[in-house]
Amino acid sequence: MAEASKKKSFKVVPPGKKKCIWMEAGVVSYKLCDHNFDCQTCSYDQGMQLKVARQRASLTAVPVAQPLPDEFTPTWVEKEMQLPAHRRRCRYMLTGEVDRKICANAYECGNCAFDQMMQDRQQPSQLPVQAHASVGGFELAEGVYYHDGHTWARPEYGGRVRVGLDDFARKLVGRLRQLSIPEVGQAVKQGEAAMELQRNGSRVRALAPVDGIVTHVNYEVLNNPSLIQESPYEGGWLFIIEPTRLRKNLKNLYFGEEAQSYLEEERERLFARVHEDDRIAADGGPSMDDITADLKDEDWSTLVKEFLRS
Amino acid sequence: MSIRTDHPPGVIIHPLGPVPASILQHLAISVQDRCQISCLVGESMENPGYAQDPEREQYSCKRILQQLHRCCTPHSWQVLAVTEIDLFVPILKYVFGAAQMEGRCAVISLHRLRPQFYGDEEDEQLLLERLVKTALHELGHSLGLTHCRRRTCVMYSSTRIDDTDAKMADFCPTCRELFRWRLQGTG
Ligand SMILES: [Zn+2]
Ligand SMILES: [Zn+2]
Repeated sequence: MAEASKKKSFKVVPPGKKKCIWMEAGVVSYKLCDHNFDCQTCSYDQGMQLKVARQRASLTAVPVAQPLPDEFTPTWVEKEMQLPAHRRRCRYMLTGEVDRKICANAYECGNCAFDQMMQDRQQPSQLPVQAHASVGGFELAEGVYYHDGHTWARPEYGGRVRVGLDDFARKLVGRLRQLSIPEVGQAVKQGEAAMELQRNGSRVRALAPVDGIVTHVNYEVLNNPSLIQESPYEGGWLFIIEPTRLRKNLKNLYFGEEAQSYLEEERERLFARVHEDDRIAADGGPSMDDITADLKDEDWSTLVKEFLRS
Repeated sequence: MSIRTDHPPGVIIHPLGPVPASILQHLAISVQDRCQISCLVGESMENPGYAQDPEREQYSCKRILQQLHRCCTPHSWQVLAVTEIDLFVPILKYVFGAAQMEGRCAVISLHRLRPQFYGDEEDEQLLLERLVKTALHELGHSLGLTHCRRRTCVMYSSTRIDDTDAKMADFCPTCRELFRWRLQGTG
């Protein structure tokens, strides 16, 4: 007991200090942020990313993870809803971001004006992508983890994870008419359908790259899906989540050179799939920006589904 | 014009529309030297107006390859067409060349191999290097070789002309072995 409390007291975060995102995610047991959450230029973060990438390859032992705090689960809405209306605390009050605010909207944060205002104000400022690598004409953003269903996840400010579609998906799905993404507070699971893409009356689902609870939604991309076409890794991001199993999840994603190899394989696979009847092999340029628009006899949803692995 | 029908099998290079004869001669000699395959320049073929795609304003490799297949002479192992027109295959913005996997026909476009296309000075030496690399690459596909991961291997997939310039006009040891082995099988 004394041992346990000693351990616990050891992990107290001093006032004014913030946990490193790797501590927040349970990957390391104790590490404070000393870089103002600017992970992109933090050498510790780069070291950890490398380590995770190496661990994925070698499956060596990983540091002991601490159980994750359970304060932001989907059931909090249910708990609050059992209270009388005047006592239902707004999620921003629960997280301490506002002093006192009662929810008058039955936790339908997606169409709450206050929520929208808070999101606009608090939107973790979009980190500019530092560099892009090109793999056979498909762009890869650096510092981003890739799911084999062509969605990406980027751990950033405060331990949250931003999610979007990768450039391969962007070119494959082409001009979307509409898309649906999970609402704030909704739980998503790695490898399970979290989004729905619509084009010419067909729908295809896309998979979540990591587990967690949605905290922010990109309302702009909902109103204007062409933002994905403009910049899939920046303005075209889809939602932000509070991850619940980041350490485990990252192991299943591609990063760095692995992401490049995977993309190369996928590019070859797509070309071979599209040319399986005429058996043409070609030495040539980048893919069209709207791949299926160039294929007269190919069904959009069949092809997209195959590669988004939904 | 004599074509060897014994080992190793031959390649005939056909200009598709007007193509400078000196370029084709150089290509024939280079292919013969590097692959130990008899290679000669065949007669000129018509400009492939039939392959024009109104939407893409380019010419379809698929239609050209089908046409080549029809007039493929039975005594040549491989037909390699060279043209000045801009080629495409579905889902790629353009191609330097295309072949049918384990097929008998391939086509190469000089359009994007010419340095002038990129705003550079005319440079026949560079053009010839690019042409030879593309020809070896397509012959590799004809023998069933797929793309190679080594950037310097001629079977590396060129997305941009820089990729072509970065690779050697030769196969890596693995691809070369495969090329030889497959070539034996065709005789
Ligand atoms: Zn090729
Ligand atoms: Zn090779």
